[in-house]
Amino acid sequence: MDILVGWWDDYFWGSVVVAQVFVCSLILMIIFGLIGAAAKLSDNFIAQKLANGYTIVFRGTPEILVILLLYFGSAIALTSIAQIFNPDIKFFDVPPFWAGTIAIALIVGSYATETFRGAFLGVNPGSIEAARALGMSNLQTFIYVRVPEMWRLALPAFGNHMLSLVKDTALISIIGLNETLFVAKQAIGTTGEPFIMYIVVGLIYLGFSTIITLSVMGLERFGQRHLVSSR
Amino acid sequence: MKFTTVRKLTIGLTAALTFGTAFGASAETLRVGMECTYAPFNYRTADGELTGYDVDVAKGVAEIIGADLEYVCQQWDGMIPALLANKFDLIVASMSITNSRLEKIDFSSPYRDSVGRLVGKSGMEKPLFDAADKPIPENFAGLRIGLERASTYESWFNAILPDADIVLYDGSEPLYLDLVNGRVDAIMTNPMKAHLRFLAKEEGSGFEFVSPAIAEVEYFGTGVGIGLRQGQSELKASLDTAIKKLINDGKLTEYALKYFPFPIHNEEWGDS
Amino acid sequence: MSFDFTLIIDAVPKILLGIGLTFQLLVVSAVLGLVLAIGIMLMRISGKWYLSWPAQIYIYIFRGTPILVQIFIVYYGFPQLEFIRESFIWPLFRDPFGCAIVALTLNTGAYVSEILRGGVMGVDRGILEAGTALGLSVRQRFIHLTSPIAIRLALPAYGNDVISLLKSTALASTITLADMTGIARTIVAQTFAPYEIFISLAIIYMILTWILQKSLGRVERYLGRYMQK
Repeated sequence: MDILVGWWDDYFWGSVVVAQVFVCSLILMIIFGLIGAAAKLSDNFIAQKLANGYTIVFRGTPEILVILLLYFGSAIALTSIAQIFNPDIKFFDVPPFWAGTIAIALIVGSYATETFRGAFLGVNPGSIEAARALGMSNLQTFIYVRVPEMWRLALPAFGNHMLSLVKDTALISIIGLNETLFVAKQAIGTTGEPFIMYIVVGLIYLGFSTIITLSVMGLERFGQRHLVSSR
Repeated sequence: MKFTTVRKLTIGLTAALTFGTAFGASAETLRVGMECTYAPFNYRTADGELTGYDVDVAKGVAEIIGADLEYVCQQWDGMIPALLANKFDLIVASMSITNSRLEKIDFSSPYRDSVGRLVGKSGMEKPLFDAADKPIPENFAGLRIGLERASTYESWFNAILPDADIVLYDGSEPLYLDLVNGRVDAIMTNPMKAHLRFLAKEEGSGFEFVSPAIAEVEYFGTGVGIGLRQGQSELKASLDTAIKKLINDGKLTEYALKYFPFPIHNEEWGDS
Repeated sequence: MSFDFTLIIDAVPKILLGIGLTFQLLVVSAVLGLVLAIGIMLMRISGKWYLSWPAQIYIYIFRGTPILVQIFIVYYGFPQLEFIRESFIWPLFRDPFGCAIVALTLNTGAYVSEILRGGVMGVDRGILEAGTALGLSVRQRFIHLTSPIAIRLALPAYGNDVISLLKSTALASTITLADMTGIARTIVAQTFAPYEIFISLAIIYMILTWILQKSLGRVERYLGRYMQK
């Protein structure tokens, strides 16, 4: 166990990276999921087709592959795009943190699209009609009626998405992000003790999962506080 | 409609991402790619510091040419693709200067010997190499050989012993671990590292070198050099000068002696 | 940026050589995982604390940690332990395929057991009460009433898990297995062309996923054939 002395702080900073990736990818995932759900629910044919394509691509491709593709391919693709705006830019680099974060946000976002879509469809039509009758605009209906109700319905599945996000962070170690699994690999390179090092990583991720699961349980209770019958 | 709000979000996000992560390499900062798990050449110690022979060479060169360094950790099999994709500017990761690599990237002049050797269990019944140091293909039958993917050792094996049962690994440390627990019968690796990290230690007892040192230039190149993208003749020239200076000033020997009981480069590289 | 098509034409047949291994990993872990999941699920709903708690702990651990970490612990970690190296199951762990199967099975077992449990909980109580009224025993009720309905309810979620399992097999390449992803990474290392190769690989996986989804859709429709309005 004294092998670990000296590596604790590295694991700590690795966990900080995991938390950072989680927060950034969570925000992006929500955005991607909402955009996708809106596109699928809209009357726009092209939007629907694009959203369908998005879900097919990102639900059908292994996560590790998406991460590798975004890491290696993004530079090429983004440079071409950037050169349209500013021909002086010689190259464009997406560091492992962002390549990985965007990759897992895109992947889990494709699942979230379905979750949000189902949840939006589950919103009580009576509430919408009431909002219309009260003269609320579309935007107001969206913010005050659709979204709160949708969140309550989506929460259980959304909790699973958050767990997926945290666990997919481990895959970003493949492209060199200094999160806990990569710290473990480097530690093994020096100490040669794979079992302990990987168990520590497992425990750290277990800790993250537990925090998320407990938070979701709390949020679920909070979201149902007005529903006496659900107790 | 909700789609309009969401549409604005999309455009804003794309713009933010495109410009928010703009990274330009200034002339002063060079990003260096290395494995970070390859003791004693480039690895991380418990305090989080990157150390090793390669790291020392990189720092020494940077000091001479007056540049700042930024380190990027990269898995070995993606090292050259990452360089080509502009993830970093230099590869200082014990990468051998081979012809197949020279097709895609440039190298500085060498700063370390490049050689491979097989490590296996002591007292193997059949010798794998004959008296003339040539491999005996028949005696490799039934043996599993561990190699690192995209390494010179893999190229050598693919060319000289294509029928051998090869297992490809993502890094070098797993090679030793699997040799000890019996998943592979022999591994081909850097003999300096093998001696230091393995054979000289307790876990290496019962194992030994089962081949002579192999340094065929065709597969192992003229040595280990700093990799850079093609078309940067100025940078290459300054790297070459810096390395020669490090050799002539005795710095390379100094770095090597930190980890090995002998220098690991060829003194001749310094005088020209 | 140049897109080298000749590279793709050259690489795809080599990548497809790995499809056998990918499928072996998928099918073996899916089947073993299902068996394990049924057992765990039964333990979980048994009501006896000494069965239910171990099941819950197992599910908690394997759903709470990344599959990549589980794979590494099994492949790199276990051989470090003396009692595994000396025991009779060592041949299983010695082989990277065995390690991959163990890790994938344990992982999918945890998820599927929860999916099955959801299906079982979703069975209408009225049907079970009718079974009791007709004099069926607990076991008969479970086999003839609960199971068919639970299977139909669980199938969509189970289908998703099978697809996840297919994607997880790609991680076997990190422990030296030459499945499709492993072969692709070797080709990338030799040709230095990640973009073209990885996109081809992604397309292959997407086609496989599509085939899986269509087949599962057929099964779903077959099982629900009497439910169509």
